[in-house]
Amino acid sequence: MLNTQLVEAGKRQRGRLLINGVIPFLVLVGFSLSPFVYANQAILFQMMAFMALAQGVNLLYGFTGYLPFGYVGFFGIGAYGMAISIQLLHFPGLLAVVMGGLLSAIIAIIFLPLLRLSGAYFAISSLAAAEVLSNVVSNSAMIHITNGPYGEQLTQSYHPVTSYVAMVIVLVLTTVTVIFIRNMPFGRALMAIREDPVSAAMAGIAVVRSRSIVWLLSALIAGLTGAIFGWHLSVFYPNTVFDLNISILAIVFTLFGGYGTVTGPVLGSIVLYGLYNAIGISDPQYFQLIYGLLIVALVLFLPGGIISLIQRRGNYVP
Amino acid sequence: MKSTAILGMAAVLLSASLAGCGSSPSTAPSAKSIKDITIGTLYAKSGAFATSSMPEYSGLTFWASQINKTGGVYVKALHKKVPVKIVAYNDQSSATTATTLYSQLITVNHVNILVADFGSVLTSVAVPIAQEKKMLLFDQTGTGASFFTPSNPYIVLTSLPTSGLWPTSLAQYLIHKGYSRIAIVYATNDFDQSQDQTLVSKLKAAHITPVYNNGVPTSTSSYSVLLNNMSHTNPQAVIELGYPNNDIAFLQALKASGDHFNMVFTIFPGQLPQLFVSSVGPSSINNTYTYPAPPLLTFSHVNYGLNTAQFDLAFKKATGQSTNFLSIAGYNTGLIIQKTLSTANSLNQLSLRHAVSRFSGSLSTLDGTFKIDSKGAQIGETLPVGKITTNSKGRVSVQFVTSPNS
Amino acid sequence: MFTYSLVSGILFGIFFGFMALGLNLIFGVMEMVNLAHGDFVVLGGYVAIMALTSLHINPVVSLVIALVLFFLVGLGLFFPLIPRLSNSRDPEMLSLILFFGLSQVLEALMVIKFGVNPESLPLSVFGNSSWHFLGQSYQIAWIVTALVSLVMITLTYVFLYYTSLGRAVRAVMGNREEALASGLPVKRTSAIIFAIGIGLAAMSGVLSPLMIGSLDPTSGLGLTTIAFAIVVIGSLGNPLGSVVGGLVYGVSLMLMQTYLSSWSVLVPYLLLLIIVLVKPSGLLGKGVRHA
Repeated sequence: MLNTQLVEAGKRQRGRLLINGVIPFLVLVGFSLSPFVYANQAILFQMMAFMALAQGVNLLYGFTGYLPFGYVGFFGIGAYGMAISIQLLHFPGLLAVVMGGLLSAIIAIIFLPLLRLSGAYFAISSLAAAEVLSNVVSNSAMIHITNGPYGEQLTQSYHPVTSYVAMVIVLVLTTVTVIFIRNMPFGRALMAIREDPVSAAMAGIAVVRSRSIVWLLSALIAGLTGAIFGWHLSVFYPNTVFDLNISILAIVFTLFGGYGTVTGPVLGSIVLYGLYNAIGISDPQYFQLIYGLLIVALVLFLPGGIISLIQRRGNYVP
Repeated sequence: MKSTAILGMAAVLLSASLAGCGSSPSTAPSAKSIKDITIGTLYAKSGAFATSSMPEYSGLTFWASQINKTGGVYVKALHKKVPVKIVAYNDQSSATTATTLYSQLITVNHVNILVADFGSVLTSVAVPIAQEKKMLLFDQTGTGASFFTPSNPYIVLTSLPTSGLWPTSLAQYLIHKGYSRIAIVYATNDFDQSQDQTLVSKLKAAHITPVYNNGVPTSTSSYSVLLNNMSHTNPQAVIELGYPNNDIAFLQALKASGDHFNMVFTIFPGQLPQLFVSSVGPSSINNTYTYPAPPLLTFSHVNYGLNTAQFDLAFKKATGQSTNFLSIAGYNTGLIIQKTLSTANSLNQLSLRHAVSRFSGSLSTLDGTFKIDSKGAQIGETLPVGKITTNSKGRVSVQFVTSPNS
Repeated sequence: MFTYSLVSGILFGIFFGFMALGLNLIFGVMEMVNLAHGDFVVLGGYVAIMALTSLHINPVVSLVIALVLFFLVGLGLFFPLIPRLSNSRDPEMLSLILFFGLSQVLEALMVIKFGVNPESLPLSVFGNSSWHFLGQSYQIAWIVTALVSLVMITLTYVFLYYTSLGRAVRAVMGNREEALASGLPVKRTSAIIFAIGIGLAAMSGVLSPLMIGSLDPTSGLGLTTIAFAIVVIGSLGNPLGSVVGGLVYGVSLMLMQTYLSSWSVLVPYLLLLIIVLVKPSGLLGKGVRHA
């Protein structure tokens, strides 16, 4: 009796692992093959970048409850970290991307005290932090390091194909990271903290350390994405990589799809970024109106995002 | 049952990702079968650059409709006239969106001619894409000096010199007038800060150090305290370098403060006089100085396309909009493209670029003399300094204080 | 130079204290951050601009129009949205997201209705005379704005401390559960405060073009952030706290513009970060994580 139950559970476990593995595999295959079918790589590239950012937001909001309006700060710092490594240290592109991610993580360490805040305090303070970063980078006092308001010009290292491949890799790694965290005891500890930090701490969970790890990971993801994004553009101004709309879209994609799952941000990015390219380009205000209304409706009727429609019937969704 | 669910989900995801991305690729048409010349460009219907981008786009589409009325543009490579078709997308003033759209124009629409959107920010992202895809970029008003490098033949600036050159005549005038107390406030962006640098270095060469020279964020919309600080240095000339919104806010604060200076200079009243008349009133730009651009600045010998007066009439009749500098710049881009197509031996992008170099210096349009250097940057057009006079009805006229070339 | 910056900073500060007042009230009573606050301010600005340019209505009249109109809008928004939220699992977070969605909707609607170009009121709308003080002259528009702001802050103070409804409001601010238990009409009080908060935001918006130069549909989020910083600097739920926060912001901004102009845009963000990070216990209260 017990034995069969164990076998059943083991089967279910393996089944779930398989379903989980399908997501990054699909992402890998989809984005590796689609350039051969569809010529506008820039759209595919940006969809990947937004998907990675949405997973980063998902990691932070879905597993710790911090909603980072200023998430774009890490993205921009990643892009600038990459650019500085190329311009001043003469690093090759891929190494510069890694440097961008690391710089972003270092900035995240400096901003660790933000985690002492909660709710709206955290959300708006993170926005303020992103504005500070953006204005420091673009100030003329920084002209010898960041080229100030004149932006970065990296045409000598422009490699659209390599940067595309790098984005695929970072996106797949990000997706796998979210799967691991979600299915490991660490992820369940995070969920416990999210639900009730006081009891979690009493149960012996290292609340501050767990949150800090997730914070650094999500900053690393945004930093790497921003670095590859900047590399792919190879010419950008501070406004381009610190554009607040980047945070807003990443958050909207995550909330729409469903946070705390792996599939939600993937689905949200595909559907809404697709919608954005279908109607957002010619009439952006109507796209904004639609997603604004969608958010209001989701909060009132479906806080778990569209994924929760499937979950509701008791189905397992990765 | 679970496995079918997985398969179903996989299919949905994959097809969604492909559907989101649109159609299958089409191959580039061969030169023989060309039925029309497609010109790809972007415009910003919303956001920070909309005020400037939309008139520029109207100017270009006006040119296309004019040329199509005559049966199309003469293409030397095909030995015949071919209609022009414009393919355009809205980038909403976002450089990120512009990236995907430039790429769309090149890789999906396979346009024959690529034209950039207004200004440096929206042009910047097109420069590396155009270079990599080997498309000649017709840069209308993206005046960032860093776009033009000896190793990149795929860019041509059709209107305006690079922004660093703009203050040349202004510096000359200030020195000539013997002003020694000069106060400058500039917005800290690429366009304005590069002008500040040039101006200050030219003044320094004449042993003048500005009594006030400070940068403010481009988002600044209240200049009252800044103006008060400037007036404490007793300047003879007050110069504000900004985008149109900065200039409007500055002139508004100046009017409210009641301060008077011998000379007040701002950039955009010369390009967008109607905008200033309607937003700050005719009296607040009266007797101020600016760079007068066409149509305030008219060139007497135009050897290609309409002259200013003809354009003014025809443009108003066709679009109902009044002429401003940017609509002229957009029309001028059309003229440069027209000249290029009618002289290039093939539609190959480098051959287009060689054609541009060949006629550079010999073409005079309503926008001035078209002349580029070996890097593709504009050097023919210069910006003189002029003093604006307005009457109570909002009619704007200008008196040149430095000589407009050509 | 210093005097002028200081006095301008005080005038600005009083206005910004008023601008943040609505956010403060809603935050204090309902523990919800109205992320669309700045968008209501901008809407108020558009009311004044439309009224002046197409109907020649003086902004003084528009003040009343905006207050009444948006009080009604506030009531209309409250009942379908807020009670449902209050019963949900995580009202604080969900309300933040809801108001974020609302802010996007308002911004999109403003773009559709008013276009994207910045709009402004002429600074001479209250006449061209100026006020002389300590050897400097200040625009009359600023003086009018600061006076109106002071009057409204005072009225709000009187309302909270000397009326029975105001006492109920303060009871709810102090402890929502206790207020419910002692039979206070918490829902009705919340609805009224929500409507007043939105009305005051729009009312301050009428004057905002005179202080901040010009408005466009995207100005909202920046104003919300400034208002939030002011509320955090001052104390929660107390209108006088808004004045303190506003003054700190206004004076810092003007001194920064005078002495370090290229960094002036950072003022609200730095102030906010300094306050929440350096002095989290004293000024934050509920905002701090307890674990």
